[in-house]
Amino acid sequence: MHINFSISLKLTLLVVTISAIVIFSLTYVNIQQQSEFFEDAYYEKAFSLTKALDASIQNPDYLNDKQNVQNYIENFTSLNPDILKLSVNIPKENILYIFASTDVDSIDKPSGAYNDLSYEEGAVIYIPDHGENAHRLTMLAPMNLSGNIFGTYEMILSMDAAYNALDTQMRNLILISAISLFAMIFSFLYVLRRAIVKPIIIFRDATKVIGEGNLNKKIDIKSHDELGDLANAFNNMTTDLKNSRTKIEKYNKTLEKLLSQKDEFIGQLGHDLKNPLTPLIGLLPIITEQEKDPKLKEHLQLLTSNAEYMKELIFKTLQLAKLRSSNIQFDIQQLNLKNEIDVVLNRQQPLLKENMIHVENMVNEEILVQADKLRLEELLNNLVSNAVKYTPNENGTIIIDAVKDKHLITVSVKDNGIGMTKEQINRVFDEFYRADKSMHERDSTGLGLSIAKRIVEKHGGKIWVDSTGKGKGTTFYFSLKSGYGKNN
Amino acid sequence: MSKKILIVDDDPGVTYTVKHGLEGLEEGFKVTSAESGGKCLELLQSEDIPDLILLDIMMPQMSGWETYNKIKENLVWKDIPIVFLTARKDQVAKNAGGFFGEDYIEKPFRIPELKQRINKILEK
Repeated sequence: MHINFSISLKLTLLVVTISAIVIFSLTYVNIQQQSEFFEDAYYEKAFSLTKALDASIQNPDYLNDKQNVQNYIENFTSLNPDILKLSVNIPKENILYIFASTDVDSIDKPSGAYNDLSYEEGAVIYIPDHGENAHRLTMLAPMNLSGNIFGTYEMILSMDAAYNALDTQMRNLILISAISLFAMIFSFLYVLRRAIVKPIIIFRDATKVIGEGNLNKKIDIKSHDELGDLANAFNNMTTDLKNSRTKIEKYNKTLEKLLSQKDEFIGQLGHDLKNPLTPLIGLLPIITEQEKDPKLKEHLQLLTSNAEYMKELIFKTLQLAKLRSSNIQFDIQQLNLKNEIDVVLNRQQPLLKENMIHVENMVNEEILVQADKLRLEELLNNLVSNAVKYTPNENGTIIIDAVKDKHLITVSVKDNGIGMTKEQINRVFDEFYRADKSMHERDSTGLGLSIAKRIVEKHGGKIWVDSTGKGKGTTFYFSLKSGYGKNN
Repeated sequence: MSKKILIVDDDPGVTYTVKHGLEGLEEGFKVTSAESGGKCLELLQSEDIPDLILLDIMMPQMSGWETYNKIKENLVWKDIPIVFLTARKDQVAKNAGGFFGEDYIEKPFRIPELKQRINKILEK
């Protein structure tokens, strides 16, 4: 089910990220705009309050009655709960002193931070202050009575009420955003599952079934979209595949039949050739031996060697045909590789001596292989004869070794002979191929390595060849299943 | 004393080869030939009992196996060693569990090899 999880997860993450970015940036912009709006509104409010104070005081004579002004601003403050502090500052010798204030302790003291304000010019100053827990607006405005400026008002307004309302609003907004975000994810996942993931799973399962060889599987997606089209195309493809497979199977059967007929024919012909060959093989050597005339003797020797070659060709062809047939049976047993190689080398001793070739069997004594004894000997025999054939008489060396890798034994037969070109390497296992065309035909049937390849493949192994080039020797490798002795 | 060999094969080339190959050698073999299983049984009745029979397996009418059985069923002949001649080694191997001659020789064969096998069996 990992495909389902993976696609959904990736797309969901994408959607969540984009939605979160959009929602939170909208919220942030909203807060910024709201704050600016609040500051402007509170400035307007503070300014109109000072104008209202001006209008209420009206007559400058009222300023003579300090207690009355004090009462008035206290009364004014209690009517406007947003006002945290309200002072009336009057200049005395160019310094503003607090004349009346809701902060009773500060009365008659210099007006603090703002006492250098040139009140006569009637400047208005407002300072918003957003503290950690409080939002304030400090307003300094001229006291304008009957067209003359007599002093200033200092007013501190609390903006908390508005900001608290904004906080609540924000909290609700975030809650709603979160809920809609979740709703969005779930509906998105639902749609994703129905429209994309489910069809993909159907495709995946169908592919699996078809991969296992059941070409009757059809995909049932009828949606009128790309996936529906894909399903149609997929079903058409399966039908085509099925038709092709039926055709191929039919051809294959015919081919198999023809091949087995061919092998049968080769077998019959091969065996039938053995009878007429009997007089040649049986009588020619005797006649050759008895012949005294040297010219005639030479002719007879040629006939004898040709008959021998013919025999070899028939035997090898029959062997190959037999190795090709499907009902050939191998007697697989545990064999000691080193011993088997020694057996073959002993048998080849005359040939090796005649060619003055030195052979080393370096195979570890403990290596066991699973193989048919006679076929393994045939295989080694073919590889050694081949190495002898292509190795010069002087200083010719053949080294046989084997390495074990887990359950596989790889055997190498290395010679220091004439080597091979790439083209020869590619064709060396072909039937009737001879690496050296100049070599007299009677020396080789061109079937030995094809037989070797068959034997290895019938054992479930591989055979290959490696050469660094002309004149640099050749190494044949083949692999066999390892036997399991006491030690392994 | 020359050894009497009976060769049974429907191929005259093979019987000729065995006859002339063996008789041509100094030890001296006396070779009689039969071109079929039936002819072989006839010869066994009318002539001296041979020291060894070379029997082809694939013959028309009466096969080598049949001829072998007929010979082994007869109390007088049953001890004659029989060497099969065959073009198909695998057929001998296939039947080895059932009945088997003293030995078998695959065609085509060299005369010295044939002689060696025959001598080995006759020595026993």
